[in-house]
Amino acid sequence: MGEGTKPNKNNQEPKTMDWFVINLLNGISYGMVLFLIAAGMSIVLGAMGVTNLAHGALYMVGAYVGWTVAVKWGAGFGLGLLAGGLSAGLVGLAIERGLLRHLYKKPNEQVLLTFGFVYILANLCLWIWGGWPRMPFTAKFLTGSMEILGRSYPKARIAVILVGLILAVVLWWLQEKTRMGAIVRAGMDDKETTMGLGINLERAFALIFFVSSFIAGSAGVIGAQLLGVHNALGMDVLLLALIVIIVGGVGSIQGALLGGILIGVIDAFGKAIFPQLAMFTMYVTMIVVIIVRPSGLLGRKI
Amino acid sequence: METIKHDNGQDGWISHGLPYLLGILVLLVTPLFLDTYGQGLMTRFLIFGLFAMSFNIVFGYAGLMSLGHAAFFGAGGYTVALLKLHYEVDLFWISAPLGILVATVIAALFAIIALRASGIYFLLVTFALGQMLYSLAWNVKWLNSKGMQGITGITLPDLGIAGFTLETLSFYYLVLIIFLLSCVLLYRLIISPFGLALEGIREGEPRMEAVGYNTWFLKYAAFVVSGSFAGLAGVLFAYYNFFVSPNHLGIATSFLPMVMVIMGGLGSFLGPVVGAAVFIFVENFASILSPQRWPLVLGTLFVLTIMFARDGIGVYLWRLWTKWRPDFGSAKN
Repeated sequence: MGEGTKPNKNNQEPKTMDWFVINLLNGISYGMVLFLIAAGMSIVLGAMGVTNLAHGALYMVGAYVGWTVAVKWGAGFGLGLLAGGLSAGLVGLAIERGLLRHLYKKPNEQVLLTFGFVYILANLCLWIWGGWPRMPFTAKFLTGSMEILGRSYPKARIAVILVGLILAVVLWWLQEKTRMGAIVRAGMDDKETTMGLGINLERAFALIFFVSSFIAGSAGVIGAQLLGVHNALGMDVLLLALIVIIVGGVGSIQGALLGGILIGVIDAFGKAIFPQLAMFTMYVTMIVVIIVRPSGLLGRKI
Repeated sequence: METIKHDNGQDGWISHGLPYLLGILVLLVTPLFLDTYGQGLMTRFLIFGLFAMSFNIVFGYAGLMSLGHAAFFGAGGYTVALLKLHYEVDLFWISAPLGILVATVIAALFAIIALRASGIYFLLVTFALGQMLYSLAWNVKWLNSKGMQGITGITLPDLGIAGFTLETLSFYYLVLIIFLLSCVLLYRLIISPFGLALEGIREGEPRMEAVGYNTWFLKYAAFVVSGSFAGLAGVLFAYYNFFVSPNHLGIATSFLPMVMVIMGGLGSFLGPVVGAAVFIFVENFASILSPQRWPLVLGTLFVLTIMFARDGIGVYLWRLWTKWRPDFGSAKN
């Protein structure tokens, strides 16, 4: 190569401001979906010490039910969102009350049990909805694009960012400012003493698990525009959630938010710059974080 | 609970060794009466038994829950497959050692990263590391046969003996020999001071540290040894299966030894083998009845194992044997 030639000369991507802003917005909106996916799992892991590998499968149940209500029955996106959340929440609650309840403080058993449900739920969804993937969908009033910073950008993605931010604030408020949150934090630190004070942790745990599954299910409906609705979601989403949790740290809303946005943005730019290494940049980020801070960026010390 | 001691000479040896001898005899003789399908099934059982035993070193003895063990299994298999695909090498004495070597090196690297974390983080990290290899295998062209995911065209290995080619039955015996040798090696490892130290770490790592053990190094060594045996199982699996796919590196395969170990008996030496036998049997049964519903059966198997057979079927069988054994011993006298 001659001295004067620039290596980037015939690069396809013009690295302009437009390119940067669009990828940043793509990254943040994807990151918000990642946050929605990881938040519930992180709370359950932090507050109850339960590793719920079925979290991704619950997301998938929500996505399928949401699709059925919103697209197939045409009942509207809002109802689809609610139905997706409720169905996942109820399935989650059934798993927790029926089985997981007996396995507190037994991480190995939890992992195997909940992974069993990855298979069970995926196969049941295949049975009910068939193998063909559904088209991405979103609310009617969110189709089309809007002007932002002088550029046009899909409305639906802006909405995802807003929903993610609102949920982050609500969850943070629940965890830090309410009685329920105080119980959860107390239970995290010292379960026996908390129960000794006459607090019904069992009921609190059931509620946390339901809320976490509900968030997963509605995330499935919200995320359908980005990730689609298909049968491998349970596993794919689980993987994304774990990466976000490893990077952000277990058990905190802030950690899941930071991890989600970071991974989302890195993935968006990674795909734009090295398209052939699709998911690889995520793993590199994760490994760097593990080496520098094994407990995640905002995790509790372990 | 145990009232009868069995430490006096030959009687103890018989009551202890008989199940093993019987087991080996069954493994030696049964395939002669089976068709090639049955022989293949038994080969599969031995390979997964070995895989589960290797996993048990880390999971059962050292108490570390790794969810990325398929990475080493798959690495062994991929090495065999790549040697065949790109270099036309199918000599057993080259591809098998190289497969083990690659698996060991990957285990040595992964362990450095994974052992920085502990508890639930260890699980998450090993999981993600395994998935990283999965996504590599999925995306890199060199790691796939033309126009598909995974590598086909793997054959049974060439042993380099003139005029002798392996077929289903003789390959079974090759696997059996390797399996038994591995059993002996792993058993010696488990009863060595190293193995006991691992159990010490499982029961209380801070205490072991206080006594002066380098627990990090012990865990590291356990992880690497376990990885190389998993690699060996993967090598044999590639020969057996004629095909490797990214799935053999990922979480779906990582869970198999785990369910086998728990089903068979966590931390008991041969429990994982019993677990593998039960697993392969159910798998075969379900895939004959309804291949489409196999994931449902598999998931239900996980759940039932956890809810009802948490101690392990292998441990249960052993207890049955120790109950029945005294009569047998006194009859001998």
